[in-house]
Amino acid sequence: MGNGVTKMTEAIKFNLPVFVVIAPLFIAIVLPVFARRIRLAEGMVIFVGVLGLAGALFLAHIVLDRNSGTWIYQMGGWPAPWGIELTVGNLAASFLLVVMGVSLPVSLFAVGNLTHEVGGKQRTARFYTLFLLLVGALAGMALTNDIFNTYVLVEVATLSCCGLVSSRRHPRAAEAAFTYLMLATLGSALVLCGIGFIYTITGHLNMGFASQALNEIWQTKRHVVWMAMSLVFVGFAVKSALFPLHVWLPDAHSSAPSPASAILSGLAIKGYMICLLKFFYSVFGPGLIKEFAMDRLLVLAGMIAIIAGSVMAIPQDDLKRRLAFSTVGQAGYIFLGFGLMNKDGLAGALFYLASHAVIKSTLFLSAGAMISATKKRKISELAGVGRRMPVTMAAFTAASLGLIGIPLFSGFIGKWYLITGSIEAGSFLPTVVIIAGSVLCATYLFPVIRVAWFESAPKEPQKAAAQETGDAAVQRETAEVQEGPVQHGQLKDPGILQKLALVLLTVAIIVLGTVPGPLLELAKRAAAELLVLR
Amino acid sequence: MLYLILALISGVAGGLLVLLTGRNRHSLSNFITLFFSASAAFFCWRVAFLVFAGERVRFGWKPGELQWSLDPDPLGAVFGLIASTLWLFAAVYSFGYMAGKERQRTYYAFFLLSLSVTVGVAFSGNLVTLYLFYELLTLTTYPLVIHDRTSGAVRAGSKYILYNLSGAGAILIAIITTHSCVGNPDFADGIVLAGCDSPVLGWLLVMFIIGFGVKAAIMPLHRWLPEAMAAPTPVSALLHAVAVVYSGVFGILRVVYSVFGYELIGQLSFSKVLPWLAAFTILAGVLIALRQDILKRRLAYQTVSHLSYILLGAFTLEPWGLAGALMHMISYPMMKMTLFFCAGIITEKTGETRISRMAGIGRILPGTMAAFAVAALGMVGMLPLNTFWGKYYLMKGSVAGGMWPLATVLAVSGLLNAACFIPVVVNAFRGVRSPDRTGGDALQGGEIRSGTDSGAFGDGNDGNVLSRILKDRRMALMFVPALLLVLMSIVTGLLPGIVWPGVQAVTDWFFQ
Repeated sequence: MGNGVTKMTEAIKFNLPVFVVIAPLFIAIVLPVFARRIRLAEGMVIFVGVLGLAGALFLAHIVLDRNSGTWIYQMGGWPAPWGIELTVGNLAASFLLVVMGVSLPVSLFAVGNLTHEVGGKQRTARFYTLFLLLVGALAGMALTNDIFNTYVLVEVATLSCCGLVSSRRHPRAAEAAFTYLMLATLGSALVLCGIGFIYTITGHLNMGFASQALNEIWQTKRHVVWMAMSLVFVGFAVKSALFPLHVWLPDAHSSAPSPASAILSGLAIKGYMICLLKFFYSVFGPGLIKEFAMDRLLVLAGMIAIIAGSVMAIPQDDLKRRLAFSTVGQAGYIFLGFGLMNKDGLAGALFYLASHAVIKSTLFLSAGAMISATKKRKISELAGVGRRMPVTMAAFTAASLGLIGIPLFSGFIGKWYLITGSIEAGSFLPTVVIIAGSVLCATYLFPVIRVAWFESAPKEPQKAAAQETGDAAVQRETAEVQEGPVQHGQLKDPGILQKLALVLLTVAIIVLGTVPGPLLELAKRAAAELLVLR
Repeated sequence: MLYLILALISGVAGGLLVLLTGRNRHSLSNFITLFFSASAAFFCWRVAFLVFAGERVRFGWKPGELQWSLDPDPLGAVFGLIASTLWLFAAVYSFGYMAGKERQRTYYAFFLLSLSVTVGVAFSGNLVTLYLFYELLTLTTYPLVIHDRTSGAVRAGSKYILYNLSGAGAILIAIITTHSCVGNPDFADGIVLAGCDSPVLGWLLVMFIIGFGVKAAIMPLHRWLPEAMAAPTPVSALLHAVAVVYSGVFGILRVVYSVFGYELIGQLSFSKVLPWLAAFTILAGVLIALRQDILKRRLAYQTVSHLSYILLGAFTLEPWGLAGALMHMISYPMMKMTLFFCAGIITEKTGETRISRMAGIGRILPGTMAAFAVAALGMVGMLPLNTFWGKYYLMKGSVAGGMWPLATVLAVSGLLNAACFIPVVVNAFRGVRSPDRTGGDALQGGEIRSGTDSGAFGDGNDGNVLSRILKDRRMALMFVPALLLVLMSIVTGLLPGIVWPGVQAVTDWFFQ
């Protein structure tokens, strides 16, 4: 009996990489059956989330433990050129940790809050199905070592993202989802073309083998390699909303329900960035990136995106749109780091990716909580929300400080390494742009904090008319607001699970900022591995 | 080490407690503010005496790759002393000034948080920690700047954030460059850049000076400072004449003497420009101040000018210059806070903000204007007041450094300072109050009524004025801190030996 259990745990441990991907996908497919018993379905989502996080933590532990080499898992036991491989390396482990670590709080936030936002239990179940499909696909992107599998997972993720965007019953959501579908499919098509080129000239779909073959033949097939690289770059750039290919993002991310916005902005676009990273560094290799000047392109595009995205975020009065544009700007940091071609820069980009995933989810979730409590989307109408919803607004503030890059919050560490990397790369301009991005970020986030904390709530119209001026009247007004929960009854912090989700994410931001240790270590090792010249 | 932690967290603890008090428990929140400011000051004094005695007080924490440490050397101890002591005066003044005003809880909470952060700036042991507190200082003082919630205050707040975060960005680049060269050693372990031979040292200095220069209001980076005068007067007095701007000045002193060291910095060509930059700011600041009609703005530009006195002393790279800088750093805030306190009393009691309307005001507020007059003489640098000694050593330092024109600049600046404030005082006592202003509506408090009764200033002797002031509790709370500061200034002016040991500890520390 005991022997059986040990064997069982051994088997689970050995097959963990597959389970992490399969479990969400499997539950996703089963979930619609439980549409009428929505509590059970929600329970399953959370359960899968917890399992996934545990699995990711365990894999990260294993990877951190075995100091060198990656754990290559062969699907079905078939060896590489024919079988499909999953690699559990530093990069995969760190991104898996981010995916699971962010998706669990997001699903906690969604539970119980979502039914009235998307309308109806049936639609809620559909939402969770899409959500889990997306999580499974992202986990797969982190782990897979196969070009075509990457494409399949990218498609799964894209389609479920579309579904998530349109899950709110609103014409604008449908429009945004359609735009997204068109552009994302275009991106997928470009990526598929690129994959076709690679397969044609190398005859391999496994990343390692394709990379080897490419290194031998690229000089004779220069143009094909260049074409494949450009196609892959543009395809993933569309999907991860690199400026100026971001046009779909603001509508899509701001019209989705808040948990969906959180996961779309926080994780989905990061998945495509990781795919791009794998294609560039694991398939083409650092040598070819330099040969075709892709590193300079990445840095340039990243710098433009930082400035343009942040500048465009400033005039937005709709809170979620402002956050969506901010995502465009922040994505620029990650692309910039990808192009720096040194260890610190790349590690900074990976850490920044993780930190932005956590921060942006927090921002979207707390914004969602504020919007659903006040029924108002405009920043100028959020006056005084901080006093009524202190937990929500505290999470928002911490996340904003993190995004600006105040020390002790996670964004600071990411920016620190990005700046170190760009100084090391000998280029002064990216350094300045990184700082300018921080200042711009403060320009668009500080007003929200100011309005929500430091401006007093608007008075009731008929009351305001009857108000006489003077100190006594003001004091009476504030006293009334404090004691009279009748007129502001709905304006308070969301339920316990939502609060828990926000607190978890906020703690994650601060922990990553103060004790970045393990994740930073994974990012550094991943960067070192990716940069090895083949 | 315990004292160090207590000095640092006093403000935070007090701020959180204030936030927890009820909305209208003003006397309770006043008590908390006073108690925790006093405890912060007390522990700062304890730490400072330990440091002056040559002991090393250090608290370090290394959670990741970055080392955070609190490790005051004599310079940090001096700054901590100045800030935490003056905080007490500003706190008492606030009790009077803020009485009956809105949003007191937010005000006192952030007032105390800023105290903690300023102490953090003073005691930070390495560049990264200094950066942390420097950045936090911007954030914790922002709510104080926008305290009035008017559109002007909000605009000032945005400008404040924009300027200070940009400056912090420049510092961050410089710190990371330093870090990649020599790591992150403590200041107390010796010159930070000692072993670094990098071709970009000159640019590094430029970045540091630009970064810290924003808070130190070196022209043309000073523009946030006059705008920030939208804050309540005690905030303008304490933060924008002392704590915030001093953290910039302190940062520059750190960069010059701890990061580069006077020997290394002397070899950089950029350092030859720096004293002249400071001299330019001294003259330009006071010239612009002359043209301001709003009293607080005149004071703000004059702050810009006087901050550069300290920088000038630091940039001479001479022991006497540094001593002068420190003397000025210690003595100037006493006078400046008095001026601000008086300006606040004038505005509160008569509603006047413009200098052109202040004629004859000395007859209504004789005590206040007398304190103002003494402080104005202090700004010029007259002998019974301690600012004289700062100026004396600054001149000595610039002559010793072979830059005698700088001494002339200081002298001229003294005359211009006189032109700034002496007419205000003379007009206040001799001028006639403009007739279009009846004054009845804004006037309140016993002093004003009795002031008009007795007619001219000369009638009432000083004790009489004082007793009238003390009858009005709010007035007393505002006036007594100003009076004490004037007395302190006279005492330290007559006996500069009181503060000299601190100054000497710092100069010995840096010039061995």
